[in-house]
Amino acid sequence: MAPDATAAGGIDGGDTSSVVQLSSVTMAFGGLLALGGVDLDVAQGQRLAILGPNGAGKTTLFNVVAGDLVPTQGSVVIKGVDCTRLPSRHRPRLGVARTYQKARSFPGLTVADNLYLALVGRRGRHMSLLWPGRVGRDLRDRARAAASAVWLEDRIGMRVSDLSHGQKRQLEIGMALATDPDVLLLDEPASGLSRGERERLTELLEQLPAHTTLLLIEHDMDVAFQVGRRVVVMADGLVVASGSPEEVQANSLVHEIYLGSEAHT
Amino acid sequence: MISRRSLTRTNAVVAAVVVLLLVLPAFGSDFFVRFIMTQTLILGLMAATIVFLTAYGGMISLAQLLLAGVAGFMFGNAALSEGARGLNLGLSPWVAVVFALAVTTVVAFLLGALASRTTGIYFLMLTLVYGVIGYTVFAQVVTISGPSGITSIVAPEPFTEPVNLYYAALVLSVLAYIAFRAIGRTNFGLAMQGVRDDPIRMSSLGFNVALHRTLAFTLGGLVAGVAGLLNVWWRKQIDPASINIGPTLAILIIAVIGGISYFEGAWLGALVYVLLNTYTKSIPLIDQIGLTPDRFNTVIGLMVLLIMVLSPEGLAGILERLSRGRGLGKPTQHSVEPPTTSTSPVRTGPGGLQ
Ligand SMILES: Nc1ncnc2c1ncn2[C@@H]1O[C@H](COP(=O)(O)OP(=O)(O)OP(=O)(O)O)[C@@H](O)[C@H]1O
Ligand SMILES: [Mg+2]
Repeated sequence: MAPDATAAGGIDGGDTSSVVQLSSVTMAFGGLLALGGVDLDVAQGQRLAILGPNGAGKTTLFNVVAGDLVPTQGSVVIKGVDCTRLPSRHRPRLGVARTYQKARSFPGLTVADNLYLALVGRRGRHMSLLWPGRVGRDLRDRARAAASAVWLEDRIGMRVSDLSHGQKRQLEIGMALATDPDVLLLDEPASGLSRGERERLTELLEQLPAHTTLLLIEHDMDVAFQVGRRVVVMADGLVVASGSPEEVQANSLVHEIYLGSEAHT
Repeated sequence: MISRRSLTRTNAVVAAVVVLLLVLPAFGSDFFVRFIMTQTLILGLMAATIVFLTAYGGMISLAQLLLAGVAGFMFGNAALSEGARGLNLGLSPWVAVVFALAVTTVVAFLLGALASRTTGIYFLMLTLVYGVIGYTVFAQVVTISGPSGITSIVAPEPFTEPVNLYYAALVLSVLAYIAFRAIGRTNFGLAMQGVRDDPIRMSSLGFNVALHRTLAFTLGGLVAGVAGLLNVWWRKQIDPASINIGPTLAILIIAVIGGISYFEGAWLGALVYVLLNTYTKSIPLIDQIGLTPDRFNTVIGLMVLLIMVLSPEGLAGILERLSRGRGLGKPTQHSVEPPTTSTSPVRTGPGGLQ
């Protein structure tokens, strides 16, 4: 699987090689059906924006893809590997990286250590009791580069608990980007960011390498429609619309359930 | 994490104390060296394993004395021959050491694996249960604990000589101190701290959280086992009462008095504990650390209370603050981030995933 990133049409979703494949995924929390049978194929290099009102099941969908939740029914296949019941810790090896809606990092460690752990998680020796040698120094360099990529280079020695909300978000994105993921899941990365920071984030996401498949949950329409080449709209645990940004914006059903109240485009 | 300057100062103070302890036998009284300080170093080493697991891993363990006891009992069983209590395996002393530590490591691994999916108060309770069960096992199975304990245990040469045993405790304490601090900067130690702060995040970064916790617990158990060997060599005997609930809590109290997020605090707390234990009873040379007359319990209780009121980070925290000239008052940063008392299991399906 995972053919070369230059495969024609990768960006526009014309490619048939799907990197993430969900088949009738159901997720029930007790009596509540958070996902009611979702089918989704995401091609390599696709930039997919996921929209939907609060409680639509977007985050739950991510949790299922990322292995934090085992779906009640259905299957999750990533790069041809059946991941339905595979715990989240096996995802980085498949090149999957994610961020959480409520930023999750390690408050007791520094920015540098957080980024370093993200790198070690994917390609380091987890259990090494030795002081990091050449490989470690290499990862440290990459951690520093990752910090610069999200404009945190002057915060690198700071403890994460001392960062502002926006900086924690930047760090989370940095941790996801640091590993050079093939599949990147970002859950509302722009929330809590200032206008300027949102613009920088948009720029950052547009500059992702072509092979990176992006799944982006975003309430901010500017970010979603600018970064997304394909848009999926969810409501009540179902995918209710899917298509190019233009198609979705023209869809009347979508307007009714979601865009009507919030869209300004 | 403390600033580089105060880290250097801590190092200088620790180095000075170690030099002092190295020359102590030249001028200290026999009683002070062989009784007070040897015991302090041994208990400090045991308590340091609690600091290691708590500060890096957020795992407050009440099983450390049990693991020390496992090593002690196993050494007693393995090293003694015919006529003594226990199994009388009659191995040579150093083989017995290896045997004891191997058994301790295996036990620690199994107990750690069983506890690896719990955190916070649940982990504490589970390790308390380990302590209680461990005590009961040794109390009931007299084949391995000898009726009322194994006595006349002899340390391997040259540690039959009390001053040599003191130096062994000192050297091993210094090594453990350095190693524990250094581990904080290794992949393993950084990952432990990541697991402490957010196990779910660690998992999605690719780490095996349960295995990491298990191995951390195993490592802490191995060092506790080393302390347990020193302990039986020093006391020359071991009985189930010495790993009962009272002494088990005492090790935690030592770590708390000293400052549960400071490695130095473990030995500092041990010193205070041993001094109080020795002098509030006013009868020197009692052969059991588990002996707790009411007076001692009251004094140690008040001591804990006083220290907790002055500084939740214990004596080491107080000293650090005094040395920075900030006086007592609001807490400042400490050497290792204290555990967040997250109680969410690693992978519980729904819950806590936003
Ligand atoms: N762990 C859980 N346990 C129980 N119910 C849950 C859990 N996670 C989500 N839910 C419920 O599932 C539904 C979908 O939630 P989800 O977080 O996926 O929505 P969302 O689309 O991400 O919403 P938002 O835009 O507010 O982030 C909601 O009704 C939510 O209350
Ligand atoms: Mg959400």
